[in-house]
Amino acid sequence: MKRWQMIKLGLILAVYTIVGCVGLAFVYNSTSKTIAQRQEADLQAGLHEVFPTATGFTPTDKVKSPNSTIVFDAAYTADGPSGSLGIAVKAHGPSYGGPTTLIVGVSTDGTITGVKVLENKDTPGLGANAANPKYYVDKATKTTFPGQFAGKKVSDAFIVKQDVTAITSATITSRSITNLVQAVAKAASDALGTAGSAPVPSSPSSSAVLPSADTVRPSSRAATSSVPGVSILETLVGTKAGTIVGASGKATAKSYDGDVTVLVGVSTDGTITGVQILECTDSLGSPILAPEFAQQFVGKKAGTPLEIGTNIDAVSGATLSSRGATALVKATADALVTALAGGGL
Amino acid sequence: MKRLFGVFVNGLIIENPLFIIMIGLCSSMAVTTTVANGIGMGVALTFVLVMSELIISLFRNLIPESIRMPIFLIVIAAFTTIMDLEMQAYFPVLSKSMGVFIPLVVVNCIVMGRVEAFSSKQPVADSVVDGLGMGIGYTWVLIALAVVRELLGNGTLLGFQIMPASFSPMIFFILPPGGFLVFSLWMAASNNLRRKLLAGKKPEPTQDSCCTLPENGSAEKA
Repeated sequence: MKRWQMIKLGLILAVYTIVGCVGLAFVYNSTSKTIAQRQEADLQAGLHEVFPTATGFTPTDKVKSPNSTIVFDAAYTADGPSGSLGIAVKAHGPSYGGPTTLIVGVSTDGTITGVKVLENKDTPGLGANAANPKYYVDKATKTTFPGQFAGKKVSDAFIVKQDVTAITSATITSRSITNLVQAVAKAASDALGTAGSAPVPSSPSSSAVLPSADTVRPSSRAATSSVPGVSILETLVGTKAGTIVGASGKATAKSYDGDVTVLVGVSTDGTITGVQILECTDSLGSPILAPEFAQQFVGKKAGTPLEIGTNIDAVSGATLSSRGATALVKATADALVTALAGGGL
Repeated sequence: MKRLFGVFVNGLIIENPLFIIMIGLCSSMAVTTTVANGIGMGVALTFVLVMSELIISLFRNLIPESIRMPIFLIVIAAFTTIMDLEMQAYFPVLSKSMGVFIPLVVVNCIVMGRVEAFSSKQPVADSVVDGLGMGIGYTWVLIALAVVRELLGNGTLLGFQIMPASFSPMIFFILPPGGFLVFSLWMAASNNLRRKLLAGKKPEPTQDSCCTLPENGSAEKA
């Protein structure tokens, strides 16, 4: 008897579900066309905003996203009256309050033609000003935050508060959009074949972590770390007037739920001369890319313990990523000191 | 008629879902950074609440006791999805700015709470009126919160600049701590009004005892 009761209840539930589904199907049918039209109109308006003179847009699959946190939704070549004008990419990447979706246009000479924010879920009044057409980072010229990217070269530095003006009180939003624009610009210019405009990635930053060196060259012997899980990708030696003054290493290791990559410079006396957190793919780890975090390591001795909470402050909200990065910086610094002491670099 | 009016007024202050029953608070804190979002969320929830209460009250004798929760959820989820699709089609700006909070109406405790406590036991007319009352009770609180937060935190109301240019927006009010502060001040004001309304009146036995505060709770201690 109990079994019949169960089947009966199941059937009743099924009837309710079916009625609900049929109702939804009708509503979906009546609205899906309008929704698709609106999204298409938004997209076309955005594409025309970044390439005002284009006569049409052809989908392309040549542009590839450089990493998994930034997703390229669609890419188009902008067709002008006389051949291709460039590439427009619709892409989204993580920001403070959820993903931000942008359209970025890159012309054939590697210049950004325009950036339009399609969707941004950051704090209204702060980060959301990225999409506010009346929020000016430069009131004199009425330049909006995304507007300032127009005319930038792909080879520019794209560092917030240096060559990019931040939105007031929304540094994380500013930084994530800047990174997104740069990633798209690089990928698009690679696809366009304007290679060579992008600088060799390692050399400028390597000299930044070895400020006392006047030349930086690849090491003749790679540093290796004894810490399990740490792999040193690249070892460089900094020299001044021919004498070795320090070494730098680029290393990567597992962090909270992704990977973290750092660049560490160590002088011959074992002092950390500079640290850059190059990449962090942890789900909430992007705040540790802030230069303020990496700056804390400068001047510390490689042999001493580096610990979150004692002599290194974690970035709030990203304690586990901070800890992962700190352990990696220490392992890399120790490996470099050993390599420097071993000589023959 | 008088009875229906009593049910309607009940949700505004005396049993306000946010200030007295204290359910559905997370969305109220999250969307009230601008007045437009507050109105949109309030209207959206009112729609889902009225429709769900109507349908469940209509079918209340055909819903077996032991599987009532999944059936309530199916009804609520269906109406939420309908509203989400309609908003995406006809109010895309509002739909974008409220993001995930529209789909989350499904699990908004106010809807589940009212359906379970009220409309699964009450006639259709009462249920619809209860949904309207609770929905408007929710909406006015959202608007009240959003007016203060948007005005002080951004200097605007419904997107129009209200404060003089020399006013520097107090970002604190846009952020969650400011939201809690504004919420508590409004709650104090509303509950003070509630006490005056109830003073001298014997508390009427309400139909849903589950959600009513015992009278000696909030009123006497103050």
